[in-house]
Amino acid sequence: MRIGEIIESTSTHFVAEGFELNHPPALGSFVRVCVGEGCDLYGVVCYGETGSLDPGRRAVRRSTEESFDDQIYRESPQLEHVLRTEFTSLAVGVIERGEVLQCLPSQPPPLHFSVHGCSADETTLFTENLHYFRILLRASGLVPVEQLLAANIRQVHRGRGEDKDWLQRAAREAANLLKYDYDRLMTLLYAIEPTS
Amino acid sequence: MERSRLGVVTDGAFNTGLTVRLDADRSTEDLRVGEFVVIEGKSNRYFSMISDMQLRVSDPRLLSSPPDDAPPLVAHALAGTSTYATVEVKPMLMLDLTSDLDELRGPQSVRTIPMHFAALYEASEMDFATVFGKEGGTNFAVGTPVTMDIPICLRLDRFVERSNGIFGQSGTGKSFLARLLLSGIVTSRAAANLIFDMHSEYAFDKQTEDGHWVRGLRELLGSQVLVYSLDAEAAARRNVDVTLIIGLNQIEAEDIMLLADELDLTATTAATAGLLGDQYGDDWLRQLLAMSPDELAQFCQSSGAHPEATKALQRKLREVQRRGYLTEKASFSLIDEMVTALGKGRSAILEFGRHDSPLDYMLVANIVTRRVRRLYQQKMERFEETKAEADRPLQLMITLEEAHKFLNPTVARQTIFGTIAREMRKYNVTLMVIDQRPSGIDPEVMSQLGTRITGLLTEERDIDAVLTGVSGRSFLRGSLASLDTRQQLLLMGHAVPMPITVRTRSYDKEFYQDIQRGGRAQELPDVVATDIWAE
Ligand SMILES: Nc1ncnc2c1ncn2[C@@H]1O[C@H](COP(=O)(O)OP(=O)(O)OP(=O)(O)O)[C@@H](O)[C@H]1O
Ligand SMILES: [Mg+2]
Repeated sequence: MRIGEIIESTSTHFVAEGFELNHPPALGSFVRVCVGEGCDLYGVVCYGETGSLDPGRRAVRRSTEESFDDQIYRESPQLEHVLRTEFTSLAVGVIERGEVLQCLPSQPPPLHFSVHGCSADETTLFTENLHYFRILLRASGLVPVEQLLAANIRQVHRGRGEDKDWLQRAAREAANLLKYDYDRLMTLLYAIEPTS
Repeated sequence: MERSRLGVVTDGAFNTGLTVRLDADRSTEDLRVGEFVVIEGKSNRYFSMISDMQLRVSDPRLLSSPPDDAPPLVAHALAGTSTYATVEVKPMLMLDLTSDLDELRGPQSVRTIPMHFAALYEASEMDFATVFGKEGGTNFAVGTPVTMDIPICLRLDRFVERSNGIFGQSGTGKSFLARLLLSGIVTSRAAANLIFDMHSEYAFDKQTEDGHWVRGLRELLGSQVLVYSLDAEAAARRNVDVTLIIGLNQIEAEDIMLLADELDLTATTAATAGLLGDQYGDDWLRQLLAMSPDELAQFCQSSGAHPEATKALQRKLREVQRRGYLTEKASFSLIDEMVTALGKGRSAILEFGRHDSPLDYMLVANIVTRRVRRLYQQKMERFEETKAEADRPLQLMITLEEAHKFLNPTVARQTIFGTIAREMRKYNVTLMVIDQRPSGIDPEVMSQLGTRITGLLTEERDIDAVLTGVSGRSFLRGSLASLDTRQQLLLMGHAVPMPITVRTRSYDKEFYQDIQRGGRAQELPDVVATDIWAE
């Protein structure tokens, strides 16, 4: 499913404008860009932001006693045209003719190409291997990396139908990668511990 | 055979051993210090011992705030990543997998170490068999690995070739092990045995600490074992072959020195015995005991002996004289006949019966052994002259309980046992010393013990003593300290390819059957009719 269009593209990450205001894809979820015949570039959503179309302008308060939240949008349909939602994804690999490569792509994805949400099957295929954790943990965005990885693990866990073995494997891999940073590791582990 | 993997080598040095990081699914609790393990290198297989284990954390912050009550996922993720264990492993032997020659020769001493990431495995039955050999002949099964049910063998021919020792606290199973080994030595004919049985526990049925009866060596091995007793009364009740009598003429000044402590003699007093010996020879003791005060004074004047010391000696030795097994004059014929039997490959147990005080034990063992040694020395000299194989004296092993009494640093230099430990290998006579406190034994003697078998020891001094002159003491120390209090032993030295911890074989019905099966196959050759022990 197309969910956005690339408006900024670099070797490490790409920014897309989302098609649905206020609803960027979930933090940590997988997205893909079809960059050629049978070749998809995979990314993990690492940041989302909604703001004014005009970068110089800040939003102003619109709620009243009677009208707030969703109702604001119903009453001011023009908001859809002056606001926009953007999200940033980290490039983490490519699937070319069914073969998974977890590394930075050789080319940034083309500007204005579509960003798709990933199906459960696509996510499952890409996450058989966990090398991409290393790329996530190197990210330099505003979201702390342990939170980003935790979000990703939660998303994939759900996407894979609550696969317990995968979760354990992921936890171990994360523990291995963060073994010299106990505090971050514990933040991550407690964040992915299933609540049930 | 599939071995189960424990971890990989990550660090190490030839001299100090290797560090192995345990696999995440392995717990230190499944391993034991002293355990026999195998490292699979590229071209060599290393038979090794676990010498130490450590718990590690990758980030020290974990130590200051350990995750208590960690939920399962967290705990699982931390184990083997942030928290992990390493074991220290010491290669003891290696097998060159690339050369066919080594397949034939078996494991060799270690000349190199494996590289990083060589895998560590639990030893399989095959590995034990490769290193310790198959049961049979002089390869005697003393026990099994702690966690497996396959035999660990001791080479009895090598065991008896040098003096050896069995140590351990009271109740660790020293005397039971001695019975096992003696049964094996007798049936495999590795050596003739002379056993000084202070507490009369070897020859006949005996009740164990847990209340059931076990068989004596005489009952198990029949006529291959002769029983001597010092105690005429007990001898009459039991199936004893010979009652041993000792003559005053057989007691030498050397014996008195040995007994100085038991008799509470000062050094001067003990030395007086020497002066008497110089003057009267064999007859010195009888002369001393018979001296009137005047005669005694006269002797002191003529020999320069100290009168008070001489009087004290006379008084003390008059007490000794009353022992039931002592007579005025005895010939050595009983002991000489015993040596003849030993020379034919039989074994002899000397029971002390009610004469089981240290004084009796030390006096008699010393006299008998002195004579035995003289005869063996003669045998050896004869063999060296004739060079005829038939004249080569059969190996003799003398079993000595409470060995520290004869081999403590003060007396070891003077007693015949000290001499045997130090030099009698030349004459084919060796000792099996049994003692609770190895620290009480002269270090020079300890260093001569080729094979040492030890049960649990707790005193630092004893542990040090038992490891005298052993390479890799620091890691054997760990294995020693981790032994159970009963029926677990550490074997090391000449008769085993590498040190190993074993669960001692049970001395029970099954063992009797094994021995009798093996024993029949190797029945003694017919004894000549004049042999007084022929049945
Ligand atoms: N191999 C064995 N088979 C059967 N029982 C054994 C064996 N080893 C030890 N035991 C049990 O342990 C008890 C003590 O063993 P043992 O008499 O050999 O100890 P020890 O080391 O000689 O002690 P001490 O130093 O007091 O003489 C035995 O009575 C027996 O019950
Ligand atoms: Mg004992």
